[in-house]
Amino acid sequence: MIKKKKDEFKSKNLNFSMKRTLAIAFKTINQLRRDRRTIALLSVVPIVVMLIFGLAFTGEVKNVPILVDNQDNLYTHPFPPIALHLGPNITDTLLNDTSVDVSFGDYFNGIDAVEKGDYYAAVYIPANFSEQVVKMLTGDNETVKMFVYIDATKPTIRASILGAIHDALDSALGEKGIKVVQILAHDRAEFTGLDVGIPSVIAFVIIFLLLIVGLITIVREKIQGTQDRLYSTPLRSSERLLGYVIGILLIAFLMIALVLIFGVFVFGAKVQGNVFLLIFAALLFGIAHVFMAVFLSNFAQNELQAIQFAPLTALPSMALGGMLVPIVSLPAWLQPVSYVVPLTYGINLFEGIMLKGWGFKELWLDFTVVAGMCLLFFVLAVLTVRSRMRD
Amino acid sequence: MAVETEYVIETKDLVKIYKTGKVKAVDGLNLRIKKGEIYALIGANGSGKTTSLNMISGALFPTSGEIKVFGYEVPKSRRLITNYIGVAPQDYSIYEDMSLEENVRFFSLIYGMSKTEFEPRFVELLKILRLEEKRKTQVKNLSGGMKRRTSIACSLIHSPKIVFFDEATVGVDPILRTFFWEYFRSLKNEGVTLVITSHVMDEAERADRIGLMRAGKLIAEGSPEELKRKHDASTIEEIFIKLSEGEIIDD
Repeated sequence: MIKKKKDEFKSKNLNFSMKRTLAIAFKTINQLRRDRRTIALLSVVPIVVMLIFGLAFTGEVKNVPILVDNQDNLYTHPFPPIALHLGPNITDTLLNDTSVDVSFGDYFNGIDAVEKGDYYAAVYIPANFSEQVVKMLTGDNETVKMFVYIDATKPTIRASILGAIHDALDSALGEKGIKVVQILAHDRAEFTGLDVGIPSVIAFVIIFLLLIVGLITIVREKIQGTQDRLYSTPLRSSERLLGYVIGILLIAFLMIALVLIFGVFVFGAKVQGNVFLLIFAALLFGIAHVFMAVFLSNFAQNELQAIQFAPLTALPSMALGGMLVPIVSLPAWLQPVSYVVPLTYGINLFEGIMLKGWGFKELWLDFTVVAGMCLLFFVLAVLTVRSRMRD
Repeated sequence: MAVETEYVIETKDLVKIYKTGKVKAVDGLNLRIKKGEIYALIGANGSGKTTSLNMISGALFPTSGEIKVFGYEVPKSRRLITNYIGVAPQDYSIYEDMSLEENVRFFSLIYGMSKTEFEPRFVELLKILRLEEKRKTQVKNLSGGMKRRTSIACSLIHSPKIVFFDEATVGVDPILRTFFWEYFRSLKNEGVTLVITSHVMDEAERADRIGLMRAGKLIAEGSPEELKRKHDASTIEEIFIKLSEGEIIDD
């Protein structure tokens, strides 16, 4: 039988070692740095995605062609003496509104043009419009009508046209009529479409790119056979996983910085809250996704399969995480699903900090969920490594 | 006083059934390997050699049976014993996008070596493995033989007491193969135990002892001369054919 020679076999390398963890981290960075395609992906994609989502998909509608037929006449009321000509005021306001591009013409030709798709709406202001408004003010008339023949196939465009008309009526009536007074929440801040778009773009870019980079890093290790080789070294699973996470996160940190710098300085996106809390949130959200990538890598045998995970995760996230449609607007039965989609919490965090100026006090629940995700995927990742060895 | 035989590797009724496929990759393997021995594990592809090595080195958990390395139970004490073993897998299993030096340095860090421990050992290995000029070369630009030697350097950097070379001499040119065997001998002389697998039967003639594996079982074991005498054969391949009774096992 074998005799143990305790003195000969020192119990070295048994405890968790930061040195080994960093060895994995630096190796990961080195490899990523040399991979030109991945570097291109990491630096170009965030900016392109930001451009596309920030500028095109913000819900801001511009230059929608509409046709206006203004027949309104000046009306002079005998007693009490009121003279009113609202038509020109309305058309002037519409002309100055960048959301619509106004042409003038005959209403019935306009209807045909809307049907043909040349205009999104034809607006008709009747000849007695000003007269009716005056009579409403004097109590001789109850309702005032104008007509809009409108294309309803694009809900955002329809809403925007109606908004423009509403604004035009509002300004034409001046001090008269009913006023809706808006007081802007969150420190009275006004937001451009880009301001509103950037937080979800950051969340999305972190999910999409870290999943891809994480999966590629680990799946490559598997294909090269180095993963199996590392199993017969003193390296711990936790050291390996943390090493990947640190390495990928350092790269991700640069990427997130790039997005923030580009978004804030080039596009002028607003950051109402604490910048350091924002960076912390981005890192925490990033860590969760690197762990998720490590876990998902168990189900991918090659790089192609790994890359296929990205759209599989990203597309449902976009639909359900509140990026394209607010969660409250989703069908009631679908809303619970949103609460298991990580993007939901990312958007909550980034919007909360950047737009609403919220801090940890308001966002503790989202922070807790993301921290919980980190823990969950870390445990799952470690467990799956152990079960792989038992296969 | 009787000479005490020291076994550094012992397996008892070792079984491995992979969950996927339900194949008995290793089927009751009993191995005893002495300190300072060059032991060749010989068998066709799929006979269970690599699976056995992976279990002994702690990378894979056995389905049943016992493994002891230096008297320590594996996989229970796997983390301790991995400090004293080196593995050069069948596929090179090194990082193609890193240089030779970066690869070896990476593994030295995994073994907890310091810079001052690494440098002299690395220079020594480069000289022995004749890789001095390729130190800074990216692995993907190395030839197959050089990749093999790089992989071996990674497995030896921490001066292990046992090394597993999985098909290390396969596909290597005859001059390099002779060089490898010379080097294996010199390692043996330093007291290192070598376990070498190969599916090339005659390769094994140069080992101290041979284990013939078939379908996850050891079908014969002994020194090359012993085996040839016992089975009345002139080559190892002949013994293998005799013992297989002409039966073909498809992988």
